[in-house]
Amino acid sequence: MAQGKNPAGGKDNFTRNLVIAVVVGVVLIMLVPTVLSKKTNTDAATPSSVSVADGYGMVFNGDVKDVPFIEIYEDFQCPACQRFESISGEYIEDLINTKQAKVSFHVLSFLGAESQLAANAAGCAADQGKFLPFHKLLYGNQPPENSGAWTPSYFTTLSLGLGISDKAYDKCIANNEYKDWVVNVANEGAKRNINSTPTVFINGKEIDRNKAYNSLAEFMLAVKNG
Amino acid sequence: MKEKLVTAQPWIGLLARLVLGGVLLVAGYLKVIAPDKSQMAVRSYEMLPNSIANLLGLVLPFLEIAIGVLLVLGALTKVMAALGGLTMVIFIIAISQAWARGLNIDCGCFGGGGAVAPGQTKYLQEILRDTGLALLAGYLIRYPVTKFSVDKKPIKSISEKEVA
Repeated sequence: MAQGKNPAGGKDNFTRNLVIAVVVGVVLIMLVPTVLSKKTNTDAATPSSVSVADGYGMVFNGDVKDVPFIEIYEDFQCPACQRFESISGEYIEDLINTKQAKVSFHVLSFLGAESQLAANAAGCAADQGKFLPFHKLLYGNQPPENSGAWTPSYFTTLSLGLGISDKAYDKCIANNEYKDWVVNVANEGAKRNINSTPTVFINGKEIDRNKAYNSLAEFMLAVKNG
Repeated sequence: MKEKLVTAQPWIGLLARLVLGGVLLVAGYLKVIAPDKSQMAVRSYEMLPNSIANLLGLVLPFLEIAIGVLLVLGALTKVMAALGGLTMVIFIIAISQAWARGLNIDCGCFGGGGAVAPGQTKYLQEILRDTGLALLAGYLIRYPVTKFSVDKKPIKSISEKEVA
C-alpha cells in the first residue's frame, strides 16, 4: 500500500491521521449538539402552573399550607407509571380538588422522542387548564414504547375529547413549544438522582418501593403519615 | 500446526476487531439516541457524584462509538483495543460493585439501565459478556496485526519482504 511512498517503513501517518480526524470530527459534530441541547435554558417558555422552584414541576395547590407535598416523577410512555396512575391517580386528583395536598408532576422524557412529545403536549394542555384530564387520558391510551403512535396530530385529535379546540393549542403541540421546558424538567430529575419511573416523594421522602406503588391502601397510608 | 496458527492469526484478529468494535459501536449508538436514559444508567451505579455521573452518561456513548469505529476500520488497533479493553474492565468493576452492594439495576450496556425489580438483575451474564470482550481486546493488544486494517504492517515484516 503505502510502502512505496514510505521506503523507510516508518509510521503510516497519513492514513492514521485521516482516520483520527474523521472520527474525532464526527464525534465532535455529534457530541457538541447533544451536550448543548441538554443544557438547562432558564429563559425557556414554561406552561402555566409550572414552578421553577419545584424543579420545573407542574404544581397544583402550590399556595395551600400545612398539607402533604407529593412529587411525582414519571414518563408518559412508562408502563409502571401507567399502573401507578390507574391505581392511585384518582385518589391524587381527589387530593388536588379538595386541596388536601400540594402535588407536583414532573414529566420526564427518558424513554425517547415520543415521551418528549407527550411531555410537551401535557404542557400545552396545562395552558388550557386541562393538565390533569390530559394526563389521565394519555395513560389510558398508552401505546407500546416509541411505536410511532404518539404524533402531534394524535395529541390534538385526542384532546378534542377533552373539549380542547383551540388553534393556539394545536400550534403549541405542532411546534413543540415547550421543548426547552421538557429538557429542564429532565435535567432537574437527573440532578435529583431519579433513576426509575415512577418515583414518588411525600414531603421529600420516597415512598416504599416494595409497597406504596402497587397498592392504593398503602399509598393512602403513606400520604396520611406524611 | 504452528504455521497454520500464524496464518490464522490475522484472521482471528479481524474477527476480534469486528466483534469488539461492532459491540462498542452498537452499544454507543443505542445510548446516544436516548441520552437521558444513558445518564440515568450511570447514576444508578451509585459510584459517582451525581453531576459527574450525568456528564459521563452523555460523553461515554460517543467514546464507545469512536473506539468502535476505529476498531472496525483497524486504525491504531493496539491503542484502541487497549482503550476498549479498559472500558470493559471498568464496566466489570462497576457491575461487580453493584452486585456486591445488592443494588437492583440493569447494566445499561445497550441503552436502557436504571433500577429494575429485585430478581430481574443479570449481573453474571453481563460480567461474562464483558469478560469475553475484554479477552478479545487482550488478543488484539498481543497480536495487533490483522487482516483488512488501515494500520500499516509493522516494520519488521516489511523489511523481511524486502530482503526476500
